[in-house]
Amino acid sequence: MVLATMLKSGVSLEFYVILATILFTIGVLGVLIRKNAIIILMCVELMLNAVNLLMVAFSTYHGTGDAQVFVFFIMVVAAAEATVGLSILVLLYRNRKTVDVGMFNKLKG
Amino acid sequence: MLALIILFLTALVTLFVGFAKKPLLTLSLSVLGLLGTAAALICQWYHPSDFLSSYEGVNMDGFAILFSLVAIIFTILIIFSGFEQFKSRLDHTADYIGLLIFSLFGAIVMVSFQDMFMFFLGLEILSIPIYVMAGARKDDPLSSESSLKYFITGAFATGILLFGIAWLYGATGTFKIYEIQQFFMEAEQISSLAYVGLLFILSAFLFKIGAAPFHFWSPDVYDGAPAPVTGFMAAVVKLGAFGAFIKLFTIAFSELYDFWMPALTFLAILTMFVGNLSAIRQVRFKRLLAYSSIAHVGYSLITMVVLTNNSALNLWYYLFSYGFATIALITVQMIVNDREDRIEAFKGLGRANPFVGFVAVVALLALAGVPPLMGFFGKFLIFADAISQNPALIAVALLNSGIGIFYYLRTVIVILQKPGVDNEIEQSEFKTTPLQLIVLGICVLAMLFGGGLLMVH
Repeated sequence: MVLATMLKSGVSLEFYVILATILFTIGVLGVLIRKNAIIILMCVELMLNAVNLLMVAFSTYHGTGDAQVFVFFIMVVAAAEATVGLSILVLLYRNRKTVDVGMFNKLKG
Repeated sequence: MLALIILFLTALVTLFVGFAKKPLLTLSLSVLGLLGTAAALICQWYHPSDFLSSYEGVNMDGFAILFSLVAIIFTILIIFSGFEQFKSRLDHTADYIGLLIFSLFGAIVMVSFQDMFMFFLGLEILSIPIYVMAGARKDDPLSSESSLKYFITGAFATGILLFGIAWLYGATGTFKIYEIQQFFMEAEQISSLAYVGLLFILSAFLFKIGAAPFHFWSPDVYDGAPAPVTGFMAAVVKLGAFGAFIKLFTIAFSELYDFWMPALTFLAILTMFVGNLSAIRQVRFKRLLAYSSIAHVGYSLITMVVLTNNSALNLWYYLFSYGFATIALITVQMIVNDREDRIEAFKGLGRANPFVGFVAVVALLALAGVPPLMGFFGKFLIFADAISQNPALIAVALLNSGIGIFYYLRTVIVILQKPGVDNEIEQSEFKTTPLQLIVLGICVLAMLFGGGLLMVH
């Protein structure tokens, strides 16, 4: 029954917002908890994609196209960031032979 | 707009001139381009419309021009003082300079944005080259480590910022900062979405400017990055981030002042204490600079807590004075060139090379805020503006200045000591290059006579 009403009226904004918030939280927790730098990079991407979803949902809600254009900018920047991030990781792997962020503790004090 | 186009072309040309492997040619072309940009900005100041001024995303108003000009001056100084290091790797001389200029482009976009598109793009154009530059010493694990730390915190902050922008868009339905302001003025009841967005954007800014409790990355990154990049981060990145911060919060969020002011008051106090108290026990020079920069972020935040008509100008003047002192100190650090960057390595600098020692002492005193120097006037403007509204905050700030004087003076004493008292630390030769001497000369003149700018102010 619930599914039928949802299909009829379209999925309401709340569901998108909740889904985006959950995805964003998973991304944040991943960045904070995981030790593998590549996983951290993926979690950052997850955060950005949660934002994309939220942007598109709000854009449809407001009936303006601004935010959908914003999504493209976010995608471009995310690609640039991923490129730079992966190159930094390769560089670090050459120097230290590991991508475990727990091992990168030479700088402290 | 014209200034941005010139700057972009300068960066591009600089990158391609790099193929010629002639460092001096690269240097002169890039500096020429930067001067051209500055000239275009000054023209803009006197003739406020140019052929692209109808574009709404970027507006070169007086505020943006002042911040941009200072950012350009700082970038030229950093290119000069770091040229010796850039030149040592001939393949990459142009890359260093080109990336610095691209980053400067981002800083200028960040102080002149009119909507969230440009703000976000400016922030990323500012940050991404710096992630690369921080790891510029490719065979040094410390440099790569600092690069990764900066990248992860930066990318995380970007995610948080975007999340905040999305919520704000959900509440207001627009990305333009003046329309957001309009919305808050007219709204009878502001939905909680807007507050969520505001908090996320605020945390992202605190990450970028390195304010407590989000400061933890900055000492590590400053320490590991090559010295010129550290100088750039301290001077130009901070300038861009603070420019965007005050612009966004005084325009878009001006109606929510009562909501964010208490939070910022608390954060300013926390930042000052964290910066100053941690700086006391530092033995490495760049870490000392990093904690001192955190403390200075705390003082700068006072301009945002106590908003008056002069806030933006006071902030500008403060960052101006802070930047000169920091660039001078970073240049001195490059001249001392100690492998482990110990403060003890500065011992005897005052006798071995009186001019460099003098500049270092002046810069440290300027950071401490000793009267005839520019740093004092910066602090004085901020405190004098705020004292009638929030005397308790100024009392805390003065207490912190007192703590600050302790560690700055300790470093001054090290510089003035006799060299070679203990044999553990081998004496460095304090080699200088003419360009570094020019930078030091400009910085010391600015610090000694920068108070004169107040006449115009």
